[in-house]
Amino acid sequence: MQFENVTCPHCGLLCDDLSVNVTDLTVKLADSAHPCAKFFENASIESNTIPTPQISGKSVSEDRALEKAAEILRDAKQPLINGLITDIQTCRDAMAITEKLGGVIDHANGESIRNNGAVMQRIGKVKTTLSEVRNRADCIVIFGSKLSGKFPRLFERILLPKKTLGNKNVDNKKIYILDISTDGTFRIESGENNISRIFFDFPLLESIVYRLQEIIYKSAKNISTIDENTQCLLDLYETISNSQYTTLIWNSSEFNQDSAEQTIQAITESIKYLMQKIRCVGLPLGSSKGEMTANQVATWQTGVPLPVAFMTGTPVHDPARNDGMKMLANNEADCLLWIANYHSEDEPPNTNIPNIVLGHPNMNANNATVFIPCGVPGVDHRGLACRADNVATLPLPKLRNSHLPNANELLRKLKELV
Amino acid sequence: MAIKLTGGEIYDPAHKIDGKTKDLFVVDGKIRKSLSDNDKLETTYDLNDCIVMAGAIDLHTHIGGGKVNIARTMMLEDEHQHPHPGSDILRSGNGRIVPSTFSAGYRYAEMGYTACFEPAVLPVNARQAHMELADTPMVDKGGYALLGNDDFLLNMIREGATQNAINDYVAWLLDATQCIGIKVVNAGGIHAFKYNQRRLDVDEMGPAGSKPRDIIATLSRAVHDLGIAHPLHVHASNLGVPGNFATTLATMAAADGLPIHLTHIQFHSYGTEGDYKFSSAACEIAEAINNNKNVSADVGQIMFGQTITTSGDTMMQYFGHDHASPKKWTVMDIECEAGCGVIPFKYRDKSFVNALQWAIGLEIFLQVNDPWRIFLTTDHPNGAPFTSYPHLIKLLMNRSFRNDVFKIVHEGAQHASNLASMDREYSLYEIAIMTRAAPAKILGLTNHGHLGEGANANITVYRKQDDIEQMFAKPAYVFKDGTLIVKDGKIVETVQGTTHVVKPEFDRAIEKPLKKYFDDYQTISLNNFKISNDEMIECIGSEIEVHPSISNT
Repeated sequence: MQFENVTCPHCGLLCDDLSVNVTDLTVKLADSAHPCAKFFENASIESNTIPTPQISGKSVSEDRALEKAAEILRDAKQPLINGLITDIQTCRDAMAITEKLGGVIDHANGESIRNNGAVMQRIGKVKTTLSEVRNRADCIVIFGSKLSGKFPRLFERILLPKKTLGNKNVDNKKIYILDISTDGTFRIESGENNISRIFFDFPLLESIVYRLQEIIYKSAKNISTIDENTQCLLDLYETISNSQYTTLIWNSSEFNQDSAEQTIQAITESIKYLMQKIRCVGLPLGSSKGEMTANQVATWQTGVPLPVAFMTGTPVHDPARNDGMKMLANNEADCLLWIANYHSEDEPPNTNIPNIVLGHPNMNANNATVFIPCGVPGVDHRGLACRADNVATLPLPKLRNSHLPNANELLRKLKELV
Repeated sequence: MAIKLTGGEIYDPAHKIDGKTKDLFVVDGKIRKSLSDNDKLETTYDLNDCIVMAGAIDLHTHIGGGKVNIARTMMLEDEHQHPHPGSDILRSGNGRIVPSTFSAGYRYAEMGYTACFEPAVLPVNARQAHMELADTPMVDKGGYALLGNDDFLLNMIREGATQNAINDYVAWLLDATQCIGIKVVNAGGIHAFKYNQRRLDVDEMGPAGSKPRDIIATLSRAVHDLGIAHPLHVHASNLGVPGNFATTLATMAAADGLPIHLTHIQFHSYGTEGDYKFSSAACEIAEAINNNKNVSADVGQIMFGQTITTSGDTMMQYFGHDHASPKKWTVMDIECEAGCGVIPFKYRDKSFVNALQWAIGLEIFLQVNDPWRIFLTTDHPNGAPFTSYPHLIKLLMNRSFRNDVFKIVHEGAQHASNLASMDREYSLYEIAIMTRAAPAKILGLTNHGHLGEGANANITVYRKQDDIEQMFAKPAYVFKDGTLIVKDGKIVETVQGTTHVVKPEFDRAIEKPLKKYFDDYQTISLNNFKISNDEMIECIGSEIEVHPSISNT
């Protein structure tokens, strides 16, 4: 059976123009060469044998697995709910059980979205969304050259669409991909579609951000040293100043993580400075594993973003103390409930504490204390997911009848048992 | 099972009942005048010394959607400073200015509100808005879909589309977004801001090739033709700009006699007189409302203290960003549809402008004669958090209290306002109109806002007190669809509430140009843009109640 307009939740773009063929429990994109094909094939259950719940690697009934999981959670003094690589409804139920347990909840990639969130808390943002970029941007500046790997269809769907609502400037937009060179030389590689890849002789990617900010804040005559790196950024500033709608794009994971927050703040301050005279906007792209989805749910349900700790009886956001991965590394949790049912490779981190996994049916979770294979949102059951721009929420369809349990229903049962 | 409410003083303006003592019965969640032989009386509530009204309805409160989450994120300090512990029946939460969803529902119920309407649902963000509203328990809810800055509509107007085609688009959008009304924010201005235009007056041509006046006229006609009960809900141009009252009058005129609702009109009632070149035009605005029966308004009263402003009006939010307190601000262009701006703000009683804004809001309340056409709002959280409603009611009902407060605000503002000379004190009957009967009527909620036979048993009982603020802050009982949910200001049972929507008929042929538009320009497909009824229930988490179109012929 073929399904049209299927949403792909495997990166933050949530492309929803996919054709998917389903035969029994096998899932394939109609176009096998499609960049997202491997993600969908990952959901196939080749042997048509539904994986069963396990306790320490041994098959058990769902009820028995839930009882064991509840026993572990009840005994825990500091439970950690992590992963959250899943749909909105499962995140909602994960919040509910975390609150009841008095635990901590975080996303597996929580740290990756905190930098942008912290800057919004401190100075705010000037942001845009995918369709605005697609239709209005006539100048695009991308910090770092790894975005295509994380967002395979960014250029095809957003940056270089066949048609736009804009004028010829938009249709002939200029795209600059800024990065640092590895050989100590400055160079510009001009390609098709007005794409320029510029490699700066700077030690760090963030050096480009700070040098550009300096140029934006000062006029050219106040710049002390004008080498070819600086001249290039002066030219870029000139282009930005003469453009109708410049969009700066970044993925915070490409920056040095120790200073990423400051780097994003520098970009935001630059945009706000430019906004005094021209239109300039930012598009932070993250959410390769549903981070935005989990964070949105946490924020509306508790008033604060992830991580959220319920130990005191009210929700508290303290990323320095409650980062999920650091808590695991520092042995600060005594039980892990890992939720990840989009992709089989999203396995829980190695840990010595009792761990319960509500996971993808093809996940290798042999080391889990309790493993309950779940349906895949967008394949085995309907769901919803938030896009990287934090505005659009897209529906995930049900494509097959696997009878795999829905993770959110498991969480509700578990909540009743703890 | 039936319950009896006996001995209460009833205020039910829909039936012209003004403080009459009489009994009410509730059977299966509905109000009955009397019991049948088959009804078994389960509980009787003795309401001597109590005031009984229908559950209150807030027709304009920003409690769901992406901009609210941005506000929550930016107001982390406020969230942590106001924690709300959970209990066996309550979920925990945070926040006073922009509370988390569960907390917002609890606070509304504790004040006797049983329905709330989110006035700025961005179509592409409608799923999230509805999910947040679904996670707002205790109250019914609904949303107004934003139009008037979307490229599809602006293109239709520029290309001279027929009114029928535009009506089809408006009806289609209501169906697709599961909303109950249409809102326009700074018509054409949010779109113009994307082209770096910093101001757009009502009769000024925008970059989309249309004037705000044309957009408002077209949309108010569409809402009327489609039989949507709620008039076009309009956030006028030039919000916050001294002298903007002229814009507001022009906006009223743009509706050309058709129903139009001007929202948070306090922010649109400013003149340019005086040393500060900022003055009250409340008199002119109130007079216009009094003289034009097609016009209604909610006030958007400000209160002194910290809040955060959340608006779709990127243009005017950017205009006001220098006044942010603390110094941080967010603006966002959104999906060729709309935008949003989120700016924290602290209204100070010693500021001339803020003090006069406070006075202007009250002047409007006191000078509009018909309480059926003026609504009690603070444009939560933009003027103040909704939890300040009991205080606002006291300001309206108690002249000496009002004047006592006025005496401590900026002296220049006192001289610039004639508030102190206004004798009017709102009656309980008038408060019941503006917070119950009138919002239900203007939203087309025929079973809400009154205590007549067959109405939903949404009932709020206040114990009479000298301090009217305390009385309205802490009802003795609140019933939602017949279930006792609040007793002595505390929640005793949680309920979910439903989502109110309208679905006027339209010609499905409108989907042909829409599909082409979505395929060519948008980043979501037409099919996935639309929210189905079953998705509302199964995925978003709310039942819906569809209200019929009304006859406007």
